[in-house]
Amino acid sequence: MERADGLLRVASTHYTLSMDKDVNGKMTWQPLLELFTKATPEQARALEDDTEGVLKRLLTDTDNTNSLRVIVSRARENARGVQDHITKEVWEAVNSIYHLAEGKGLEDQLSSYGALNVMEQFARHCVLYTGITDITMPRGLGWSFMNLGKYLERSLETLALTDKQFQLIGYDMDEAKDIVQWRYLLYSLSGYELHLKTYRSPHYNLNVLHQVLFNEYFPHSLIYSLTRLERHLKNVVKENRSADSDALVRSFGRLHSRLRYMDPESINGRILQEFFMDFRTELLQFGKRLSQHFFSYS
Amino acid sequence: MSLDHLLQEYRCPEGIWDEMRGPDHIRDHYNRVFHSLRQLEVGSLIQKDRMAAELFMNQGITFTVYSDNKGIERIFPFDIMPRVIPGREWDHIENGIKQRLKALNLFLKDIYNDQQIIKDKVIPAFLVASCPHYTREVFGIKVPHDIYVHISGIDLIRGNDGSFYVLEDNLRTPSGVSYMLENREVTKRIFPNLLTDSQVRRVSNYPLLLHEILLQLAPTQISDPTVVLLTPGVFNSAYYEHTFLARQMGISLVEGRDLTVDNHKVYMKTTNGLERVHVIYRRIDDEFLDPLVFRPDSALGVPGLMSAYRKGNVAIVNALGNGVADDKAVYAYVPDMIRYYLNEDPLLPNVPTYQLSDPEARAYVFGNIEHMVVKRTNQSGGYGMVMGNKVTDAEWAKAKAAIEKESRNFIAQPIIPLSTVPCFIDGVFQPRHVDLRPYALYGPQGVKIVPGGLTRVALKEGSLVVNSSQGGGSKDTWVID
Repeated sequence: MERADGLLRVASTHYTLSMDKDVNGKMTWQPLLELFTKATPEQARALEDDTEGVLKRLLTDTDNTNSLRVIVSRARENARGVQDHITKEVWEAVNSIYHLAEGKGLEDQLSSYGALNVMEQFARHCVLYTGITDITMPRGLGWSFMNLGKYLERSLETLALTDKQFQLIGYDMDEAKDIVQWRYLLYSLSGYELHLKTYRSPHYNLNVLHQVLFNEYFPHSLIYSLTRLERHLKNVVKENRSADSDALVRSFGRLHSRLRYMDPESINGRILQEFFMDFRTELLQFGKRLSQHFFSYS
Repeated sequence: MSLDHLLQEYRCPEGIWDEMRGPDHIRDHYNRVFHSLRQLEVGSLIQKDRMAAELFMNQGITFTVYSDNKGIERIFPFDIMPRVIPGREWDHIENGIKQRLKALNLFLKDIYNDQQIIKDKVIPAFLVASCPHYTREVFGIKVPHDIYVHISGIDLIRGNDGSFYVLEDNLRTPSGVSYMLENREVTKRIFPNLLTDSQVRRVSNYPLLLHEILLQLAPTQISDPTVVLLTPGVFNSAYYEHTFLARQMGISLVEGRDLTVDNHKVYMKTTNGLERVHVIYRRIDDEFLDPLVFRPDSALGVPGLMSAYRKGNVAIVNALGNGVADDKAVYAYVPDMIRYYLNEDPLLPNVPTYQLSDPEARAYVFGNIEHMVVKRTNQSGGYGMVMGNKVTDAEWAKAKAAIEKESRNFIAQPIIPLSTVPCFIDGVFQPRHVDLRPYALYGPQGVKIVPGGLTRVALKEGSLVVNSSQGGGSKDTWVID
């Protein structure tokens, strides 16, 4: 569900901003295709200006394993399998998004000017799901595991989107890029307004990097997600202490500390590029160890 | 247009008992429903129908059809017109089912222990021995409180004489109770005033009653026994019901791979380690329960479960081996069981049944096939039935050959025109055949039956097959006093 929410925000942001062609220069769908599909570079280039085609690929194409329809269907199947651990309200919320995604005529709506309405409708359902989950789920193991999944996904999404944007300027923190050009990333992460209120200096590249990585008040920042991951991980292992669970907590603690005690000014160029790649790899490894530790049937 | 016009025009076929309309009058117990509906407009009822469908869709109240190519999950069709049963008639049904269940329970205890009923030649030994569900592996196992049939669904039909008959007993893993409960919740949304005014007996306490019984079956005297619901998983046709009941009772929903047996005790694998399990409400057939004893290729069961069951370290609901009592050939002897064990006459009669292993009965059935329905003794879901009035010559030739080859596995019954109930289909009221499945719970304190049960509807015009897997739907059942 977190991935669905992220996909919708990114797609609708891109759709809206792409209409301001004179401000953003030549903005194409290629970065999103690279992020959310397995399209080859050639396929991505062929589709990069085809808004309708890309939206269908991202939202309704069942051959794309990261399309909204497929993601929501998987979420729903997961929810079906754990109905004794989630509330009825949470199940109904997931189920209603599923039926919306399976609805006939969705492709036609995306073809017309109604594309943004469709995405907003889904986005509202996702927000409703988040609220219902927050209000109804008891704060037990089920809640902790849901949040582990959610914040892991959010961390990876923040890293992937930020990496993509910095790639466009060659990871050069001194490369001139004004705030209007950073809107794409900030809107995609729902952080534009916070940025305007928090960061006043003209060092936009550094400010944006600080916000998405280190700002503890920003719900989509990496540090925010890691802090909550650590809390929920500790809740999960609280009554299940073992050598393996302790090792899991320690390895995550090291990852968290690495970010917490990093000097933002020192990240530039190649270091930044390596940072994005290494951190994503370590997060993915953490996710795998988490699954193996708690959900392996061996 | 008001519904008054449609209701006045409602007619059912000749010679069929209609639940609402008698030969020249509306039956008393339907008066309130009839007169309330007369005040409504057709558009209003269409809207209620649509709302009901949306409610089912949003809550994911589904079932899975194994042979459907279009998609494995379907919303269970629901007709908004309630089926009404007067309280005094229900009380008779309730007493009849209690009597029947007591006898069946005693039969199961007897057949897996002393087998006195066979020794006294009330039931032929070969019938029991040849039943594919007679489970020799459970012979002699002591079950808690000597209760074998904790949960049952007894299928009833009403013939054109207005009497209820028992069509079949479902004593293994009867399903449909979740639809009964959800139907009532949906009806509360679409007919709130009518439901209240009619003083309908409630059904909502079923999960609490069931949970209470499950707790009482725990093998050891502990204050908080662990009860789990064992499901085959998301691809099972009744998976929705499994999740529904687990949630309503507040118990864990597990699959076979979530359980393990160690030192003849059953444990559940949790993120906090192994947790002892005391009672398993299983929705898996006997043959898949333990691959070490039954089907070795079963991936659904728990290796070693039978050893824990034999030792009395875990209670399993329903008990293993119940299939011998709901075999369609053994069904014909239930009235005899009632007389034998209880010294009473059956309150609810059986549908006349011909054992096709009997040459005379077979000859009679073959000579009158157009009035008969032939069933396999170990089939369910409406599959494998041959409707004599609709079968083609080629199909009948094939069926005859199968019967002659394994006659023990077939029975025949006269085609009984099931009673009809008005259904709101395509904007008009149309009669459709129904049956009734009351659900009974048998615990240490006796038998409890939820008022009404599930009314199953054959939604296809003229069809007598009410099973959900073959186009059937359901209705809310109101027992009113």
